[in-house]
Amino acid sequence: MKKSLFILALVVLVGTVSSAPASAGFFDFLFGKDNGEVNLYTNRHYDTDEELLKQFEEETGIKVNVLKGGSDELIERIAREGKNTNADLLITADAGRLHRAKAAGLLQAIDSETVLNNIPANLRDEDNQWVALTVRGRVVVYAKDRVNPLEISTYEDLTADKWRGKILVRSSANIYNQSLLASLYALNGEKYARAWAEGVLNNMARAPRGNDRAQATAVAAGIGDLAIMNTYYIGKMLNSSNPEEVKVAKQVGVRFLEPTHINVSGVGLTKHAKNRENAIKLIEFLSSAKAQKFFAEANYEYPANPTVEASALLKSWGDFETQDINLTKLGEFNQQAVEIFNEIGWQ
Amino acid sequence: MLKRRNLKFLFNIWSISSLIIIMFVLIPNANILLNIFKPANQNWNHIKEYLLKDYIINSAVLVLFTGFFSILIGLIPAWLITQYQFPFRNFFKWSLILPLAIPPYIGAYTYNGLLNYTGVIQTSLRNYFGISVNPIYFDIMNIKGAIFIYTIFLFPYIYIITRSFLAKQSASLVEAARTLGRSSFEIFWYIILPITRTAIVAGGSLVVLEVLNDYGVVKYFGITTFSTAIFKTWFGMGDLISAVRLSALLMIFVFGVLLIEKFSRGGKRFSYSTTKVRPLSRTKLSGIKAFLVSALCSLIFVIGFLIPTLQLLYWSWLSYAKILDVDFFIFSFNSIFVALLASILIIIISIIVANTVRISDNILAKVYSKVAILGYSIPGAVIAVGILLFFIGLDKFIGSGKLILTSTILMLIFAYIIRFLAIGYNSIESGFDKVGKSFFEASRTLGLGITKTFFKVDLPMIKPAVISGFLLVLIEILKELPLTLILRPFNFDTLASKAFEYASDEMIHEAAISSIIIIFICCLAIYGIHKLGAGKGSTDVN
Repeated sequence: MKKSLFILALVVLVGTVSSAPASAGFFDFLFGKDNGEVNLYTNRHYDTDEELLKQFEEETGIKVNVLKGGSDELIERIAREGKNTNADLLITADAGRLHRAKAAGLLQAIDSETVLNNIPANLRDEDNQWVALTVRGRVVVYAKDRVNPLEISTYEDLTADKWRGKILVRSSANIYNQSLLASLYALNGEKYARAWAEGVLNNMARAPRGNDRAQATAVAAGIGDLAIMNTYYIGKMLNSSNPEEVKVAKQVGVRFLEPTHINVSGVGLTKHAKNRENAIKLIEFLSSAKAQKFFAEANYEYPANPTVEASALLKSWGDFETQDINLTKLGEFNQQAVEIFNEIGWQ
Repeated sequence: MLKRRNLKFLFNIWSISSLIIIMFVLIPNANILLNIFKPANQNWNHIKEYLLKDYIINSAVLVLFTGFFSILIGLIPAWLITQYQFPFRNFFKWSLILPLAIPPYIGAYTYNGLLNYTGVIQTSLRNYFGISVNPIYFDIMNIKGAIFIYTIFLFPYIYIITRSFLAKQSASLVEAARTLGRSSFEIFWYIILPITRTAIVAGGSLVVLEVLNDYGVVKYFGITTFSTAIFKTWFGMGDLISAVRLSALLMIFVFGVLLIEKFSRGGKRFSYSTTKVRPLSRTKLSGIKAFLVSALCSLIFVIGFLIPTLQLLYWSWLSYAKILDVDFFIFSFNSIFVALLASILIIIISIIVANTVRISDNILAKVYSKVAILGYSIPGAVIAVGILLFFIGLDKFIGSGKLILTSTILMLIFAYIIRFLAIGYNSIESGFDKVGKSFFEASRTLGLGITKTFFKVDLPMIKPAVISGFLLVLIEILKELPLTLILRPFNFDTLASKAFEYASDEMIHEAAISSIIIIFICCLAIYGIHKLGAGKGSTDVN
């Protein structure tokens, strides 16, 4: 009796497995797909990205499989998978990480005229092993009612005594802060970078915590006057489904510091890509004017393709001059930046 | 003659399958642990000099305070509910387990969303009463806040274990004390506390393991602990060796905790020879006392379950139009499907190993039972990479030049099994413990084989333990995060991973629907466990 129950349970189990996701057959589901399709490892998980990939599939008939994860985890995974890796493309939301993948010997050059024409040289790796897809600035957001934006115009100004107890910023574990410090290190050397980080630490309104939105909210709440954050979060807050968040975003102003530290989301072609041609087609598609417009507009980022104009909202914040630095440096100096943060005690 | 029987014990289908299972559990873990013996590098010196102290202090503070408060709000309602009759007692009896349905990281996002400047409390004060309060008073994103979050969502581990223990063990002692005219407080202090000590420690060690392993809450609140440090060192600094050293330190910590649990339990075993346990006759409370007791239980229920759930429901209402599409149903299905499959496998494996351990009293069997629970004491991220390396190795061994097994659903399910085998195993083991060995021996004496005895005698008796173990594992897998994030196949999301992605992209409203579904399914499972307990009288979650 019990035995037959057991067998029945097994039958049901097998039945469920074989009828598993209607779209895929039993073995595909259990053992994964055979290739011929582009396999993308990405740490961007916006619904807009998925929408773009769908458009690509419809236009070309090439299927794209997506594996999402943290950028560092994905890089570690590609490294461990070695020659056998499934990954054809790697997308991360930080140039420093793309550089790390390159430094680990995981990428190869993207030799496509189309891509090189679409994306300017300063937004590409020196050897074209990765190219940018979107650009964001790390800016200061200020309380409109308490701060005259003309009082602050460079990153160095953030260390001035008058901002003691006024600055809000998230933890140093965050890659955006690491890349910002790495850029200052690359431009001005270790001494400058350390003094800058210490100066900001001294001026903090509270111990670092929360995400970028939380910093803007804290400015509106009066905990501090200035917050260091990425541009696109203000765009997202202005369009939030929470009316209170919209209010917060309207209370703060965006100030580009000169020269502005920019970072990118970008894509790299893996060294052992099995579907190289199709993968390059996908990069061509993502860097094309049409995709770039969609990419940037839906997520309030700046397009990497210069033929595409930024959205009206972004244009309303005005123009800015960017740091004169190859973005590869963000990766080269990441380790030093992390060590400075740890040594001075920026949590 | 005797010898041949012993041999049969060693080499039957049970012990052979157990051996194979144990090897599979051991290999990926050993893969990682071997890294401990590699020499320290420069990163390690940097970590030791600047960071280690904070990791240790923060982790210790979190563990100690969460442990203390969880015991407080776990034990007191457990005691009240087993001792007294008061309004809504039957409802609280099971609803106080419900906070377990809410993953702590979702609880943290929810409470912060509720309390922060744009949350409902402060905005109502501002918009309707014109009061602007100092937001510092509502700040939850600090170590105190983390202790609050862990306590309020993890205390049910202690509540469940102490309640079922009290229900079974306290009747004669408490009644004797009552007859001798002792007050409720004296009974609590001199009888309940000492006899529940082992149960408290058992539940407490679960809470401690969860706290040490959690990544979501501390990352969001910006608190550096061992688990954030392991991620940071490994993935941020790209330094596997130092990360493994940190894990090893953490494991020493964990084994310390488990050892304390072991010693405090002494050699005690609680098995009974009949399946009937006499329930305690409850004292009926009335008037102000009844009100106070009900109010206390309500307060815990409201803070631990009702408020966060209502907040999530409100957010779901704001965002459902954007979220509910075909994809959403696909990943809900994925989530439930893999959780079910892995839970079934875990229970089958647990039964095989636990039964082998029970019937063969040798050293090897003792080792099995330790290995089976190994995965639960290793951080999820560390297990994930151990398994990844193991599968890549397997694929190399197969030698097709491609990754056939890696990045498949098989790999993910394998990881779940290793990580959560302990929960299923403990459940089944305690089921076997309660049944004892006498029925098994009687059946064997009467000539039935081990396997036949298992199906005819043992399985029916441990059935409640099987079902409650299954449901507990199911809950854990539905809530699981680090393994899923690192090991999932292409085009594969689960409810938990999707909720985490939205939340970490700072889209908490969009995360709400996935969270609500996780909570809803977990609630059903908890209700199932409760029903099972009520139906059988004696069997409860262990």
